[in-house]
Parts: sequence; C-alpha cells; structure tokens
Amino acid sequence: MTRALLLVTALSIALPAAAAEKGNAEEGKLKVYTCAGCHGIPGWKNAYPNYHVPKIGGQNYDYLVAALTEYKKGERSHPTMRAQGESLSEQDIRDIATYLSSITQ
Amino acid sequence: MKRLIAPLALAALMTAGSAFAKGDAEAGKTKAVPCQACHAADGNAGIDPQYPRLAGQYADYLAKALHEYKSDERKNPIMKGFATTLSDADIDDLAAYFSSLPGSKLTDLHGHIEGE
Repeated sequence: MTRALLLVTALSIALPAAAAEKGNAEEGKLKVYTCAGCHGIPGWKNAYPNYHVPKIGGQNYDYLVAALTEYKKGERSHPTMRAQGESLSEQDIRDIATYLSSITQ
Repeated sequence: MKRLIAPLALAALMTAGSAFAKGDAEAGKTKAVPCQACHAADGNAGIDPQYPRLAGQYADYLAKALHEYKSDERKNPIMKGFATTLSDADIDDLAAYFSSLPGSKLTDLHGHIEGE
C-alpha cells in the first residue's frame, strides 16, 4: 500500500514535468520558417476578420505547445493555423515552442 | 469620380478604425485585477508558463481572443468563466490596457528566422 502510494505520488510529480519537456531550439529555428510569412511581419493583419496576427516570439513555452496542439486537434478554429497544426508532429511542436519562447527582443 | 472616392475613403477610414483598439487603457487597468492572478501584474505571466504573456500583445488580437472565449469558439473553462462576465466595452478596455503595458517580452519573428 505504501509502495503504491509512493508510486502514485512519484507519478503525479513526474507528470507535470513531462508535460513541460522542452524540444530542440536549433531544430525549432529551422521549423519556424513557415511561420514568418504571417508572424514575421510587424503589424501584419489577418484578413476577414481583420485583426493583427499575434506576436509569438518570446511567448511562454507551455502556452505555445497548448495553442499549437489545439490547432492540430481542431479545437481552435483558425483555418490557416489548423492546416499548419495538422502538419506538425508533437516533436515539431515542442521544437517550435522551445525556439519561439527563447526569443528575446 | 468624386462620387466613387467618397465611399472608398469612408471604407478605408472604417477599416483603419476597426483595426485599432477602441478601448480605454485606464479603465482597463481597474478591470484587470482578476487577470493578474495568472497573467501577473506586469502582464508577462512569469509565474507559470502555461499562461500566455499579454503585455504588449496587439489589442485587437487580445479582444478577439476574449470574444472567442466568451462565445465558446475557443474552449477554455477558466477563461470562459471570466469572459462571460465582460461586456464588449470591458473587452476593449482590457485589450487596450494589456497592449499598452511596458516591459513586453513579445515580438514578431522579424529578424528571428533562419536564412532571412
């Protein structure tokens, strides 16, 4: 029983850490090439509806992973980003998020 | 010709207007207290990386996100709870406030792409 409890405790500590596991920033830097078309132009706007494409350089890692995963799974509706998300593996997403979150102004 | 120009100029003005924040950043500041628990007082969400940094983000994008949370187009139970209580004016004010915060760590990818 104690052993089982210990295992459960160990797992519950290990799981959040695993969720935040970082990717490879160097790989990510190569994989963000496509992103620059919209996110690389200061002040670039999305068409219909018309709003600025968000700044993603320097954004938090876990949030970026969650956002890309939501697009990949179709849980966020932006058509272009869904298409991008669907083309990415989980490793791609971790690499991209690692690079983007490492960017400083 | 003049008849054609007037509607075009009006359309251009309206388009430009809708792209920028309509909100009042000062009013947004007083409404932003609940946001600070997760997104931090400086809007940089330095406490927990699962929450996005908001400081310096484009106001119209922030407003769009809040509207999407409110309408459930973007599903997030925590943000839904907050966004439901916000009027359109509240959303504009909050978006203007967070967008105006100094010390932003966010940037466009210009200059950060390999082979650029």
